[in-house]
Amino acid sequence: MEFLVVHFPRSRVVLVDGVKNGRTEDLLELEAGTHVVSLGPPSNFTPSELTIRLRGTNPLEPREVRFEAV
Amino acid sequence: MRPFRAPLGFLAALLIVLAACAHYPLNRALDPVPAAPSYEFPREANGTNTNGLFVCLVFSGGGTRAAALSYGVLERLRATPILWEGRDKSLLDEVDCISSVSGGSFTSAYYGLFPDKTFTDFRAGFLETDVEGALMTRVLSPSNWFRLASPTFSRIDLAAEYYGESLFAGKTFRDLGAGGRRPFIILNATNMATGERFEFTQPEFNVLGSDLGPYPVARAVAASSAFPFLLSPVSLKNHPAPPEVKFSREMRLAEGDFYDNRRRYQWAVNRTRYGDAVAYPYLHLMDGGLADNIGLRPIEDAFRRGFIRSLMNGGEIQKLVFIIVNARTEGQDGISRQEKAPGLKSVAMKTATVAMDNYSFDTIELIKELRDQRRQTQGVLRAFREKCPGAGAQPRLASEVEPFVVNIDFAAIKDPERRRYFLGLPTSFKLSREQVEKLISVGGELLAADPEFQELMGQIGKPGR
Repeated sequence: MEFLVVHFPRSRVVLVDGVKNGRTEDLLELEAGTHVVSLGPPSNFTPSELTIRLRGTNPLEPREVRFEAV
Repeated sequence: MRPFRAPLGFLAALLIVLAACAHYPLNRALDPVPAAPSYEFPREANGTNTNGLFVCLVFSGGGTRAAALSYGVLERLRATPILWEGRDKSLLDEVDCISSVSGGSFTSAYYGLFPDKTFTDFRAGFLETDVEGALMTRVLSPSNWFRLASPTFSRIDLAAEYYGESLFAGKTFRDLGAGGRRPFIILNATNMATGERFEFTQPEFNVLGSDLGPYPVARAVAASSAFPFLLSPVSLKNHPAPPEVKFSREMRLAEGDFYDNRRRYQWAVNRTRYGDAVAYPYLHLMDGGLADNIGLRPIEDAFRRGFIRSLMNGGEIQKLVFIIVNARTEGQDGISRQEKAPGLKSVAMKTATVAMDNYSFDTIELIKELRDQRRQTQGVLRAFREKCPGAGAQPRLASEVEPFVVNIDFAAIKDPERRRYFLGLPTSFKLSREQVEKLISVGGELLAADPEFQELMGQIGKPGR
């Protein structure tokens, strides 16, 4: 399994490939491969989504992505 | 007055017309605006069920032997009192999903449709019934000869009619999923073209542009148990629909994962081929045991990328329990005792069935490896926090999950004579009352004796039981 942390200034639901998958700042465990990451409503963040390739992570060195508030 | 004599040609034409009229029920195309909630895992627990204690059962194939063994496990779970989140209940109340194959699908589908009646009616209505005899009677009935002569109606369609009338009361998947109740039942068959498992859930039916809601549960069970040669395949129509309706976003992304994740890639490409309803207008299904005779793969998928993963990442699951009911036997190896090479019949039967149990143990090992990986991840994070307090804030998993894998198998019976008895039972849909009784009894016994089940009960079982 691979590991991802999604950052956003406020706690928010994380959507992975359009499905609810935990919250921002939590360590998320996902399958390797290409994923589209976004946040739950309201849509006051940018970018609207991020496409990432998850590979070669571990629990202590997860992939990190960041959304900014707008 | 001369008696009426129909010309021979007229009679032949009548027979052809009658035969042509018989057609298996077609799965319907998806409505542009769905009328009812679709048959998908209900994310919100309801009734006495919780997400915190997440229990999935897996029922293998093996005819009535498998159906009776899994029924025995259901009975024992019902008689197992637990205390969870301050409430007294039975462990059966906490079952969230059941994935099944072939014989096990009769028990899972019946329990999904009739949870209360299961413990009063299923035994006499199915387990102690000569299903093979009843099917043969239908095949031999003259009223069915014309229908069986049709190229679009076969023995499996008669079997599905029988199951629908005698056991499942004509219920559909809309009934099975009514009110978003749990357990969520996953009935598995095998796609003859790809050799991959096919599950009767709405996301899988989306790929065929089809609505699972009005589809009879009996036909899904028939597909799941369509043993090669004895029964014919169940056929489904692939309806045209726009790609955004047929395929999830994840499926589209996974098509690019050839190098990063071959498992996910294969899962996607075996489905996206049905985007072309002209090139692939039909899909034919056989016994789910051909792809996975345990029924564990859908649960593994749900753990890797599906509803279990989503709930774990959301921190909703504290204890995750997989109870695998494997009714496998050990057949007599007659082939290895002969100097003469096996004949055509033996080769055909072996070719069709030898793979059914070949990788079953491997599938169970896979889920145990996933359990161990999760434990390891949690252990590493815990150790890092304890041993490197000055390393700064490290992200945490939403919650720690305690996983359990309970494996019910006749091979665990200690007494050699009893073990031989169960391992030598036939795969058929006709067992004696005594055999059924013993299977039900040993199902509960093996559950209670499993070390991981005992560990779970040590944590949540009601004291004194």
